[in-house]
Amino acid sequence: MKTPVQDLETFSDNALMLKVKDGHLDKLGLLFERYKKPLFGFFYGMSKDAELSEDLVQNVFFRILKYRYLFRGEGDFKTWMFHIARNVNHDHYRKNKLGKAESVESWENRLGHDDAYSVQLQQDEETKMLTLALDRLPVDKREIILLSKYQEKKYKEIGEILGCSEGAVKVKVFRALQELKAVYQQLEKQM
Amino acid sequence: MEQERINELVSKYNEGQADPAEIKQIELLIEEGRIELSQLRELVQLDEQVMRFEAPEPSGDLDDNFYQMLKTMKGKSKGFSGSRFFAWPEFAPKLAFASVMLIIGFLGGYLFFPSPSSNKEVAELKGEVLEMKEMMMLSLLEKESATERLKAVSLTSEMTSVSDKVTNALLQTLNNDENINVRLEALEALKPFVRDSRIRSELVRSIGKQESPLVQVALAELMVQLQEKSSVKELKKILENENTPRDVKKQIEESIKTMT
Repeated sequence: MKTPVQDLETFSDNALMLKVKDGHLDKLGLLFERYKKPLFGFFYGMSKDAELSEDLVQNVFFRILKYRYLFRGEGDFKTWMFHIARNVNHDHYRKNKLGKAESVESWENRLGHDDAYSVQLQQDEETKMLTLALDRLPVDKREIILLSKYQEKKYKEIGEILGCSEGAVKVKVFRALQELKAVYQQLEKQM
Repeated sequence: MEQERINELVSKYNEGQADPAEIKQIELLIEEGRIELSQLRELVQLDEQVMRFEAPEPSGDLDDNFYQMLKTMKGKSKGFSGSRFFAWPEFAPKLAFASVMLIIGFLGGYLFFPSPSSNKEVAELKGEVLEMKEMMMLSLLEKESATERLKAVSLTSEMTSVSDKVTNALLQTLNNDENINVRLEALEALKPFVRDSRIRSELVRSIGKQESPLVQVALAELMVQLQEKSSVKELKKILENENTPRDVKKQIEESIKTMT
């Protein structure tokens, strides 16, 4: 009998997802193990809220299950998944409009109960600054940088997620990094 | 733009010397694929920092919640799910198949069982044709030429059902036509309708009206076939007639014998 670890190595994302589509829902567990961290990282990068990010990761996998019949196996599973992740993120902010009206209490709450955030605080200065700079970027620029990170700079695939050309994605990444650099330098001066 | 100028722009950017207009140019070149992001050193450094940057780990709750959800969904997917059945990508072929079968059904029904309305039309048409044939037959019977009258009588053989008008005309011809062949043909034409008791009794009565031995013998033979005993009386009258030829008498006597 094969162990999950062996399965992880032998099955491609697409093959696994096609199995899920055929009704072998168990196989989604393997995809979950592969992608829970990048997805969590993406949502956390967007919201800085660990609990919310976990909920959103869960939402992504719920949607993958719900819309599994839409997966055709032609494109890349990861691209499809991040497409869903982006929609989940947008839907969440559209519903709650959290980004704009956050109370101080919710921040305190988050700092108090969020182990992940305290881990974050222990990281080195440079990373801390970068995180801060990233947080100060507008949502769309932060999103493109995180997508570039978690999609491992596959600009063509990111273009599929965003619905634009590879060239346009590169320009977006360029602009976002430009701005990140500017914010970063500004923070350095303040320190 | 020449490659040299592009290189110049890139190095200017890397030195932090590019002005906004030049940055715009760089953006265009990036979009066209003539400058790769990896050429822009300073940005690459920042990008690498972002890539290295590790996000915190999700807690164990995420796993628990996920596997709980998977379990629930597995339970659900085993049973019949209406939303899944009607989910468009899967439902579309089912719907298409059902529609095609429905159309085939309708077509089959239409082809193999003609609708009552078309049935009615056909019946009406048939009726009209029959009426026309009858009219033609009746008018032909009044012609002087015996051939025409023979044609008229033979027309009835093509009719599956006839009106009283036709049978009366045939009986009239059998009794009164001057041509013996026509009379014989009329008798032949009446044979399909002998089930009708009125026609049978008319035929019996016709025996006394015939003078031609040929017709008398033909009638006698028919009476034997029908076992029409009421005809014996009429047939005996022929026997009593002095003018009846001997051969005919012999024939008729035999016919009477087989019936009694």
